[in-house]
Amino acid sequence: MIKVSVNGEVKEIEEGLNIHQLIEVLEYKVKGFAVAVNTTFVPISEYHKKIVQEGDKIDILAPVQGG
Amino acid sequence: MDEELNMKSDLWEIGGKRLSSRLLIGSALYPSPSNMEDAIKVSKAQIVTVSLRRQAAGEGGGNAFWEIIKSMNIEVLPNTAGSHSAKEAITTAEMAREVFGTHWIKLEVIGDQYNLQPDPFETVRAAEILIKEGFEVFPYTTDDLVVAKRLADVGCKIIMPWGSMIGSGKGLMNPDNLIAIRKQFPDLQLVVDAGIGKPSHATQAMELGYDGVLLNSAIALAQDPVKMADAFRVAVVAGRLGYEAGVMKEREFASPSTPTVGTPFWHQFD
Repeated sequence: MIKVSVNGEVKEIEEGLNIHQLIEVLEYKVKGFAVAVNTTFVPISEYHKKIVQEGDKIDILAPVQGG
Repeated sequence: MDEELNMKSDLWEIGGKRLSSRLLIGSALYPSPSNMEDAIKVSKAQIVTVSLRRQAAGEGGGNAFWEIIKSMNIEVLPNTAGSHSAKEAITTAEMAREVFGTHWIKLEVIGDQYNLQPDPFETVRAAEILIKEGFEVFPYTTDDLVVAKRLADVGCKIIMPWGSMIGSGKGLMNPDNLIAIRKQFPDLQLVVDAGIGKPSHATQAMELGYDGVLLNSAIALAQDPVKMADAFRVAVVAGRLGYEAGVMKEREFASPSTPTVGTPFWHQFD
């Protein structure tokens, strides 16, 4: 198991997960989101290649109202 | 009368789109999503700003709002609000492009947490990189002419100087600075963004020759946001028509408008 930060919360997850698998494990239900790891954008096309590492800071952002 | 007023609003182009409304509005701070929807409809705005934020895994809160916006057949302009560096703004822009399916980005890099003043150095740096990445950048900046020049130098076709601090409602604090930017860049699309509190502020910005105004709080925080949206719609058209008509030059002294020749009872006993 490794520790990562997801939207500011520390989570313990299995080692070796890619972003796609991470989203499934988190049961993230919000439709239409984008992912950044350590403040670098990870496009959908890269989800299967990007393996989550110990200490990674993952941001999952979804649409909200804005000015 | 409303239809007639809308007909008078000329078409203009921004970010490669031809639009009839010069009013850009935000989607935040409304009393409810349905109130937001009604206000946007009444405003006739064709560009609405949106944002991205963290949401908990089980939340679907953002979906209802986004479903409404998607159903409205309007252009969305995602912002990078909350960014404090070029790096954060660029990452947010890239994420927004994927989520919202648009290459438009309202670039907002804050340099001071107290007055939410944009950071000119990081804004220019981010704009340059985002333009190279294919974004249409709508940079939020101060009314500083030199910063506007730097943004134009890196390829911005649109510049959005503030009227005053975000959410302050103070109106146009430095109209002379806004005039200077307008004169320096007759061919860029200029939009006054932030600080507008009343419809007359929007009219004033349009009378200065600005191509549009972007506001949120002034409508959303009004006692009746839908009625205020209507007021801003009319105010923007009025200001634009005033600009096109050519405002008279100010005079130092009074000058009668009624002809003085044939004035009755005047000096008749002298």
